[in-house]
Amino acid sequence: MRELTYLEAVREAMSQEMRQNEDVFILGEDIGVYGGAFGVTRNMIEEFGPERIRNTPISEAAISGTAVGAALTGMRPILELQFSDFITIAMDNMVNQAAKIRYMYGGKGKVPMVLRTPAGSGTGAAAQHSQSLEAWMTHVPGLKVVQPSTAYDAKGLLKAAMDDDNPVIFYEHKLCYKTSSEVPEELYSIPLGKADIKREGKDVTIVATAIMVHKSLEAAEALEKEGISAEVIDPRTLVPLDTDTIIQSVKKTSRLVVVHEAVKRGGFGGEIASTIAESEAFDYLDAPIKRLGGKAVPIPYNPELEKSAIPSVNEIVAAVKETLNR
Amino acid sequence: MAKEIFMPKLSSTMEVGTLLQWFKEEGDSVDIGEPLFEIMTDKINIEVESYEEGILLKKYFEEDDEVPINHVVGYIGEAGEKVPDTPPGESGAAPQEDAEDTAAEAEPQQRAEAQSEAAPASQDHHLSDEKIRATPAARRVSREESVSLTDVSGSGPNGRIHQGDVMAFVSSRSSTKATPLAKKVAEGEGVNLQEVKGTGSHGKIYRADVEAAGESTQTSAATGGKRVKMDGIRKVVAQRMLQSKTTAPHVTLTTEVDMTEAISMRKQLLGPIEQQTGFRVSYTEIILKAVAYSLTRHPNINVSLEGNEIVYKDEINLGLAVAVDNGLIVPVVRHADQKGLSALTAECKRLGKAARDSKVKPEEMAGGTFTVSNLGMYAIDAFTPVINQPESSILGVGRINEKPVGVNGDIVLRPMMVLSLSFDHRVIDGAPAAAFLTELKETLEQPFKLLV
Repeated sequence: MRELTYLEAVREAMSQEMRQNEDVFILGEDIGVYGGAFGVTRNMIEEFGPERIRNTPISEAAISGTAVGAALTGMRPILELQFSDFITIAMDNMVNQAAKIRYMYGGKGKVPMVLRTPAGSGTGAAAQHSQSLEAWMTHVPGLKVVQPSTAYDAKGLLKAAMDDDNPVIFYEHKLCYKTSSEVPEELYSIPLGKADIKREGKDVTIVATAIMVHKSLEAAEALEKEGISAEVIDPRTLVPLDTDTIIQSVKKTSRLVVVHEAVKRGGFGGEIASTIAESEAFDYLDAPIKRLGGKAVPIPYNPELEKSAIPSVNEIVAAVKETLNR
Repeated sequence: MAKEIFMPKLSSTMEVGTLLQWFKEEGDSVDIGEPLFEIMTDKINIEVESYEEGILLKKYFEEDDEVPINHVVGYIGEAGEKVPDTPPGESGAAPQEDAEDTAAEAEPQQRAEAQSEAAPASQDHHLSDEKIRATPAARRVSREESVSLTDVSGSGPNGRIHQGDVMAFVSSRSSTKATPLAKKVAEGEGVNLQEVKGTGSHGKIYRADVEAAGESTQTSAATGGKRVKMDGIRKVVAQRMLQSKTTAPHVTLTTEVDMTEAISMRKQLLGPIEQQTGFRVSYTEIILKAVAYSLTRHPNINVSLEGNEIVYKDEINLGLAVAVDNGLIVPVVRHADQKGLSALTAECKRLGKAARDSKVKPEEMAGGTFTVSNLGMYAIDAFTPVINQPESSILGVGRINEKPVGVNGDIVLRPMMVLSLSFDHRVIDGAPAAAFLTELKETLEQPFKLLV
């Protein structure tokens, strides 16, 4: 099968969907001729025209408000934010409007929109362009939160997000854009709320999100050389969360390490850890649950400091060994 | 609410009890003080009485099951009350404490679990305050395998117990798992379970496995014969005798006692003592009295070796070796030196009967300072008794037999009896032992000395 980069997979999903559904359009800053901050919408304007690939003014509040309004009228907008950090400007529209409207109007109005946005560090974009704020959104009832880590997942999950009648926040990690994997040509859907076991193992479960999936797989390779078998699970969607897969895995391995790039304090890892502690898997835990997350600092500009602010492969290896007491 | 029935801890060394029989069925009503079941410990068989009144709701164990101390054996409560289907793991409270604990209103299951988490260390208060560090998985496995976490040492940080530690303990504890039926058949056919390969999960042995093994043994073994596993009292006697013989250098002195005067005294006292106590005084009691008297004069015999110290006992508590069905037990007559012959007779008869009926209480077997082993009822003249440690000496008593002896130049027939004194030469030398035995001989030959 042909390989596609993550970035191409996202673009392909949107293009294929737009060809078959005229209600779908994209709006965002510089997404037209420029092709978006990271080039995801490059050349799309040539096929779909400025009506459906709509450049907007520099106002996330305006873009998100427009998207919510368009969705309410029956359109299916895809809103691209240049950096996920700017979601703060769109917060009222996403949290107080998009997330609530369907509930407050008894289902008579719905908001089928996708907010796509690049997140995470690693590009030297400094503190205001490198954050991982997904935990904020998971706290809000009414919003779905997706975090694909591979090209294959990105295409399938984006299709599911576009089909969903509720607002979905779709986080694309900047460093994932260049990773590639086999991606089918046809449009396919991966259901939201279904985790993927990226690697099977028996000694420890690592639940990782976004770029940390790749780092965890690398760590698992290193651990295997020492005879430690790590299972790596990518939840893929934080809301809804596939708790069953994680619980079953922990029951099998008796140990859990949760890894995400977002700051550990208040991060989604705490949610996963609590879910296990409350579940039947508690009685199978043979070590305290370990969380690895970013340090509680604004992401530094200096590339070395930037790297050290988030979990590394070595730290994942060390965390697993600590959990195993080896 | 339903109350747990615990396997009691009856001695400091007791770890498990074997359930010999239930006196009640599920659904029977039980009064406080009524015998519920009988257990065999490493020292005694004893009936366990109920601390509660109500209906026996649940019996978790069957006859011949071994149950660790403080484990829940069953429940007593009101008819129809719900109790767990499986025994709720190890529990912390001693039965007495629990009987008084009426404040807790939680369900039994929850309570038992809470106890197992909070205070699995049973009656040792200093231990019960320490929370055992164990992972949830280790606790789950310990519940499933009925392992007390106090017995498991943890390999994790600060001694935290992991499930691997519990599983290692389980496999070391019982390399042979067998169904109760298989155990019974094995015992009946004299098959050693250790040598049977089980076909069940984790090598569990079924009856068929035992039978198959039995057939192959019969064809291969040159000598047949019934094999019975040593357990309970037999096992303890074996261990203690070996331990005594291998740690204490035994020296045995013998002397012959002319029992003429003692026999005469017994005849005169038979009536009065029987009137007073309802029991006939025997030579055993007279000998005990004489031993106690002699020990007061030879305190260097009434000693014990503890570590590097010789302990001179301030009580004279005489152990009385009694043969029972499957071994030997030694109930103790306390303060024998302060008791008259009547009191000694009553006490000895009571203890002897209790011993034969397996009803001696653990505390009645503790605290002895010197033991008397009497084989006078058999055709035994003399023997070398083995010291009942931690005591340092033991007296063996042979039969009274008429023999020709020389008295003032004449050969006359006299009722003679041999006494053998075995002593631990680490703490007692030959001369003081000889002096004690001489005093004892003279006391028995002139028993009126006992009046002094």
